[in-house]
Amino acid sequence: MNKTSSSKGMSINARIDLLVSLLLIAAAIALPFMIDSRYVLGQIVLALFYATIASQWNLLFGFAGVFSLAQMAMFAFGGYATAMICFYFGWNVWAALLPGALSAVVFSLIVGLACLRLTGVYVALLTLAIAQTMYLLIVTDTECFTMVGSICRQFTGGAVGFARFGDLGTRALLKGQWLAGNYAIIATLFAVTMLVTYIIVKSPIGLAFRALKDNPGYAVARGVNRFQAQLLVFGISAFFTGLAGGFYAAHFQAIGPGILSMSQLMFIIAITVVGGVGTFWGPLVGTIVLVAADELMREAGEFRTLGLGLIIALSILLMPKGLVGRLGDLLSWLRSRDRAAASAINFQEKPATTGK
Amino acid sequence: MFDILTAILIAGLTTGALYALATVGLSLVWGSMGMLNMAHAAMLTLGGYSAFTLCTVLGLPVIVGFAGAIVIGAVAGGLLYVLIVRNLLKTDKATFEANVMIATVGIGIALENAILLTYGGQPLKQPISANGSFVLGPVSLPFQNMLIVLVVIALMAVIALLLGKTRMGRAIRATAQNREAAQLMGVAVNSVYFQVLVLSGAIAGICGVMVSSMTQLSPPLGNDPMLKAFIMCVVAGLGNLPGAVAAAFGLALLEAFVQYVAGARWGFPTLLFVVIAVLIWRPAGLFGRVQIRRM
Amino acid sequence: MSASAEPPVLSLSNVVSGYKGLQVLKGISFDIAAGDFVTVVGPNGHGKSTLLKTISGLVALTSGAIRINGEPAPAKPHTIAGLGVAHVPQGDMLFPEMSVLENLLMGAYLAPSKAEVERRLDEVYTLLPKLSDRRDQLASSLSGGERRMVGIGRGLMMGGQILLIDEPSLGLAPLIIEQIYGVIAELSRSGRTILLVEENPARVADLADHLHLLDDGVIVWSGPPAELLARDELLATYLGG
Repeated sequence: MNKTSSSKGMSINARIDLLVSLLLIAAAIALPFMIDSRYVLGQIVLALFYATIASQWNLLFGFAGVFSLAQMAMFAFGGYATAMICFYFGWNVWAALLPGALSAVVFSLIVGLACLRLTGVYVALLTLAIAQTMYLLIVTDTECFTMVGSICRQFTGGAVGFARFGDLGTRALLKGQWLAGNYAIIATLFAVTMLVTYIIVKSPIGLAFRALKDNPGYAVARGVNRFQAQLLVFGISAFFTGLAGGFYAAHFQAIGPGILSMSQLMFIIAITVVGGVGTFWGPLVGTIVLVAADELMREAGEFRTLGLGLIIALSILLMPKGLVGRLGDLLSWLRSRDRAAASAINFQEKPATTGK
Repeated sequence: MFDILTAILIAGLTTGALYALATVGLSLVWGSMGMLNMAHAAMLTLGGYSAFTLCTVLGLPVIVGFAGAIVIGAVAGGLLYVLIVRNLLKTDKATFEANVMIATVGIGIALENAILLTYGGQPLKQPISANGSFVLGPVSLPFQNMLIVLVVIALMAVIALLLGKTRMGRAIRATAQNREAAQLMGVAVNSVYFQVLVLSGAIAGICGVMVSSMTQLSPPLGNDPMLKAFIMCVVAGLGNLPGAVAAAFGLALLEAFVQYVAGARWGFPTLLFVVIAVLIWRPAGLFGRVQIRRM
Repeated sequence: MSASAEPPVLSLSNVVSGYKGLQVLKGISFDIAAGDFVTVVGPNGHGKSTLLKTISGLVALTSGAIRINGEPAPAKPHTIAGLGVAHVPQGDMLFPEMSVLENLLMGAYLAPSKAEVERRLDEVYTLLPKLSDRRDQLASSLSGGERRMVGIGRGLMMGGQILLIDEPSLGLAPLIIEQIYGVIAELSRSGRTILLVEENPARVADLADHLHLLDDGVIVWSGPPAELLARDELLATYLGG
């Protein structure tokens, strides 16, 4: 990624990011006023959840090179923790969100510790095994923990999951417009997540993550503590994913083992791959493209999963850098053509001190 | 007591043989190419359905069905190389590992669903199976189980001979052990990769036929054996074929034992606990060598 | 060194190569005639290994030309053996899980017949009898000197007339180094063309016909090895005295 710094302060890439952000914020604010259909708005909220999770998986895998398949386990951990705190202790959902996210962080640190000595596909397999174990432990839990009325309830909620433990409070406040209220909350969650992720990625910590991915030996030689960096990226990624999980449980007023299914994980991976692994805007672009494609394929019915599989394979084959990566390449190419043209004309310019 | 032990032993050895076959296919590809073939499950399923189509739908004899599964599996492996893997190999190692895993996940999902759309989701009976048992004193050995174990042992012998004694097998092992040196000797590593995927596909085809003869044919047929095969590969250590076979039998017996003692649903979690423990204590696997990372 | 009318067996002109982002060789040109023993010396990390790897194709050529027996050298490393060039890499690069015999057999991968493989094997065992003793031993269990011998033996099994040898003395005790160089001398006497990379020019002073001094990706001096050893200023500047 070339950063041609001009003397005006911000690099070109940073200005593009800012412009895109402002446009998105404007669009996000206008959206609920332009959409009548409750279904569409609901799908957009769902898409925002996907985008949040994908952005954190992208941080973990795309930037730091950790091929973890436990992202949905983090999501579920946060969601379940929030739901269980509300269910068993009667807390308000808003109070339970932070503890839920933090418990997901603790879980992720344990997973991160287990993965410390592993690389590449071994990390993928260990995280997959852990996620599968979590799923199985929940689904096969049949022991009665408490009785609700005359119904037996398992500690982890079993195959049924948790419901009716509270909500975000928008129904009481906004009555009929509660969905728009939830949309605003989730959109804010996504925006905050992206902002913090942006700050981290551009900070020295972000550079350390990238060094780990691209050249671990070099990074270690330069004093980057590999273990600390790996645990840190696990923790950060899990915090926002777990927080999203809590909000997910609160928004849908239910949570169950379904979110741990393979197809959900594959969707997140597909989003990131199509958008562009290791790019900042990739997860958002990927979400928009795939959720739209998914809606279109809903018409196709049974060909939907087949289509998704082919899209994943073709994307990684033909566009390994994803849509955003391709766009970035195109912009760089255009800019280098302009620069060549400009310098051919203005040979009286000061000699360029910018990098090649 | 004796009955239970023999039951566990028969079940464990049979499933062990099936897992060993699935594991060999995976380990071969993983060891020589550094590739985790997530489409292996679908290739297993394809083999099973191919035999079904040839025998039940087209009415051809059993031997044709069996051979057909091998051929179709081999072709699938070859196509996987030509269409997908060959293009992904152009990137560096770390990117390739992740990309090929993602790509094969996509192919696997697509293939499984294509099978679902063609044949429907209801379970079908695999025509290549044997009925009856062989009675040896107090013990009753079903022919089906014996057939599976014998076929697998025969196959293992063939594969061992192929890898150990032939020029092609040597080239495959050399590529797995030091790719650059193999190239200097004149080995066209791309051909080797193609051969390995074709071989792995053929093995998957046979495995699919045999797994479905024990259970039934359904589109998600290959998922369970593949996941367990991964676990066994990992426990043994990357690319270690004999170790993977040993791990397959060992873990299958463990699974059978746990299922009889604690209940069917504890079988898989036990295997998961084993692999988690192995990955934490011996990251290179039980028999693997720790790769010294040259920084 | 004879100035014959035949084309040189190995010819480099303005070879530029390197790894992504890092240019190592910055324009190398020289020729090697049949039967020559040419050595390349220079400070570490300045391109000696990269030179051999570029010729054999393990490192891609950025620009310039390489010709082997007059033909343009191929870009793919697996075709180099077919052209009669055996690259014996630095650090041996043996197949660790294979026996000595299997490693040698891999060297003869492109041999046209079993009889030819047997013939080459006899030749290697005659030259390096220790390999015959250890033929069934796993390569990973051998000592440093034995591994070096397997590497050279494997190169010989390729049946070619051109040998690229990268730092044969690396990591070995002086006595073993003498043995290895004895074998290499024998190979030169038998008429093979040798391009050898070495850290210490004194070791090859008696053996090599010609020497190139490589520093920072370019050849800074060429001539007979004995002459280099007499030039103290060159030794001091490039080879630390």
